[in-house]
Amino acid sequence: MPQIITEQNLRNLIDLLVKEAKLVVGPKLSGSVVLYEPLTAGSDLTLDALPRRSSKELFFPICEDILSYKRENGAMKVSDMDRSKFPEAVLIGAPPCDAGSPAILDAVMSWDYKDEFYLERRRKSTIVGIACTKGDDACFCRAVGLAPDAEAGSDLFLTPLKDGSYACKAVTEKGQALVAAHQNLFAEGAGAEPKPFVDQAVEKLDLVKIKKWLEEHFEDPLWEKIADICVGCGACAFICPACHCFDINDEGSTDDGVRRKHWDACGFAKFTNHASGHNPRDVQNKRYRNRIMHKFKYYDDKFGKTLCTGCGRCIRACPVGIDIAEILEQINSK
Amino acid sequence: MNAKANKNHVTSIEPAYYEAITEAIRKEAVKILKNETVVGVVGYLPGRRKGTASPALVTTVEEAEKLIFSPACVNNLSVYLTKAKKGVLKQGKVGIVAKGCDMRALAGLMTESQLQREDLFIIGVVCPGVYGFGVQRTGTLTEENIARKCRECTVHMPEGADVAAGTHAELADLTPEEAEEMARIEAMPQTERWAFWKEHFSRCIRCMACRQVCPFCYCEQCLCDKNRPQAVESSPRPAGNMAWHLVRAMHLAGRCGGCAECERVCPMDIPLNLLNRRMAQELKELYDFEAGLTPVEKGPLNEYKENDDQSFIK
Ligand code: SF4
Ligand code: SF4
Ligand code: SF4
Ligand code: SF4
Ligand code: SF4
Ligand code: SF4
Repeated sequence: MPQIITEQNLRNLIDLLVKEAKLVVGPKLSGSVVLYEPLTAGSDLTLDALPRRSSKELFFPICEDILSYKRENGAMKVSDMDRSKFPEAVLIGAPPCDAGSPAILDAVMSWDYKDEFYLERRRKSTIVGIACTKGDDACFCRAVGLAPDAEAGSDLFLTPLKDGSYACKAVTEKGQALVAAHQNLFAEGAGAEPKPFVDQAVEKLDLVKIKKWLEEHFEDPLWEKIADICVGCGACAFICPACHCFDINDEGSTDDGVRRKHWDACGFAKFTNHASGHNPRDVQNKRYRNRIMHKFKYYDDKFGKTLCTGCGRCIRACPVGIDIAEILEQINSK
Repeated sequence: MNAKANKNHVTSIEPAYYEAITEAIRKEAVKILKNETVVGVVGYLPGRRKGTASPALVTTVEEAEKLIFSPACVNNLSVYLTKAKKGVLKQGKVGIVAKGCDMRALAGLMTESQLQREDLFIIGVVCPGVYGFGVQRTGTLTEENIARKCRECTVHMPEGADVAAGTHAELADLTPEEAEEMARIEAMPQTERWAFWKEHFSRCIRCMACRQVCPFCYCEQCLCDKNRPQAVESSPRPAGNMAWHLVRAMHLAGRCGGCAECERVCPMDIPLNLLNRRMAQELKELYDFEAGLTPVEKGPLNEYKENDDQSFIK
């Protein structure tokens, strides 16, 4: 028998987790936009919109302090941030294109250098994913190997049912533990039909073929054609669940300040600007090429994964209408 | 060179109106490419998704025949003529499709010696309006889906273009939402107003889309990118965000043409055009100056006169 949770009990679960002093993060209306934010009660959870920014920020915040420094009696005192203070966290209500992203990012974050800030947050988190019934014509998760009902990356996976409740599936031990600890909120049940998923305009892409084309077309007029109109902002990278570039800056005075890690993007002109003044990606077409190459070739070469979950956020947000799904379709049909 | 046409007030603008503009743009673009008046035309092409369009730099007759104008043509294309962004100009004279509000940016860029009139062929659009963001992108433009800036548009008829595409139609009796919002904020006590902006700026992720689409943000070295020494905190935190937005507002005072592109592209819905409009109001009151109406020798903030008010120097 599958397990069922009603919407009210899902909200009750959030209330309980908050009481247990867990950090509960989920889609929440913040001004005019829905963002993943700490929930203070079950009633805060919004279930009808894809948040504007992805859920990656639970593990990889927009900006975080990594150490602080202070001059005391002539000597500089440097203090690391205490990562043991990171809270136990539960991410609730992330659709597959968001829930799936940490599973992709783990590879790069635990590679030659272990990013303990990211990894410690990952260890202390449980992800409750939810099947997606609210896509639009920018979504293309199926084309990159996910689906509106893909469990990848979720510890516990919920499927909205036609009667308003959710079918639950514990995908990992973390998910099982979450259910076991709050068993009274879950019920056994056959469950109603799942709510229908939306059709996607771009359903099929041959990622192997695309990768091969990329391998052979580092130089191609396509890059110029796209980059002619790309204005080089960070919008596409910042709202992407899979982009993970960051910069580190010391901010403060010479006597007292903080070292901060914050989002960066390969679209920016200064991203690869060397101290010598040389910039290997000196024009926009080389920068946009890097975006596609990194997502559909380099990351696959190194980690065997595609660095895109098909959430469509970059398509919706690009100020000049650059459409990554359309570009992939174009390459796919070559 | 203004389009002389009858002004007619309507409650919705049908796709046919935009189709007529599209036809006129295509005809003109093909002509100036064929007779080699220009090396290329900056215009719009349709996007893959319903109700979308994107900027395009077309250089062949074949491409020019695909240009469109629809309510989805929201971009201010003049950004592609600034040195920070493209420099297509260096190849020769360039054609550009410009709505009335975009014309103001062109005039402003001429004022700032970034463009020469003779290097441009301007296809002005007699523009009835474009879609706002987060609205239904259906064929018909109505009060429900028109952009905020278009509700108070004073430049439906482009002035100073080489040719004008379209006749005049505009939606009747629209509520001036932006002006009302400005008045609401003006009326707030200072602490409340501070809280309003603090809340908005706290959401800023420093993606810099607002800077990158702005025709007047053409500096090759932005103060906000400098980190040795760091002038403005570049991390997206409240203090740096506030500083960035103050720098932005001050650097655009007396220059901003009011295209509202910065606000449109903000993924965090920060109402930046309210700041622009507030600065413009200030310039109007102090110097009786409106940016971008016609190219002028110098804007008021970069000109010195003997009789300038100096009482603020203590
Ligand atoms: S590249 Fe675009 S579609 Fe893919 S995950 Fe990132 S934001 Fe989503
Ligand atoms: S696509 Fe660009 S911003 Fe995104 S992770 Fe790769 S290099 Fe970084
Ligand atoms: S593709 Fe679009 S969002 Fe990305 S850097 Fe270029 S203009 Fe900005
Ligand atoms: S402000 Fe005026 S010219 Fe600009 S898009 Fe709106 S209606 Fe057209
Ligand atoms: S576009 Fe919006 S979020 Fe991005 S830097 Fe500008 S104000 Fe901030
Ligand atoms: S500041 Fe904004 S409204 Fe003004 S010209 Fe720049 S993009 Fe347009």
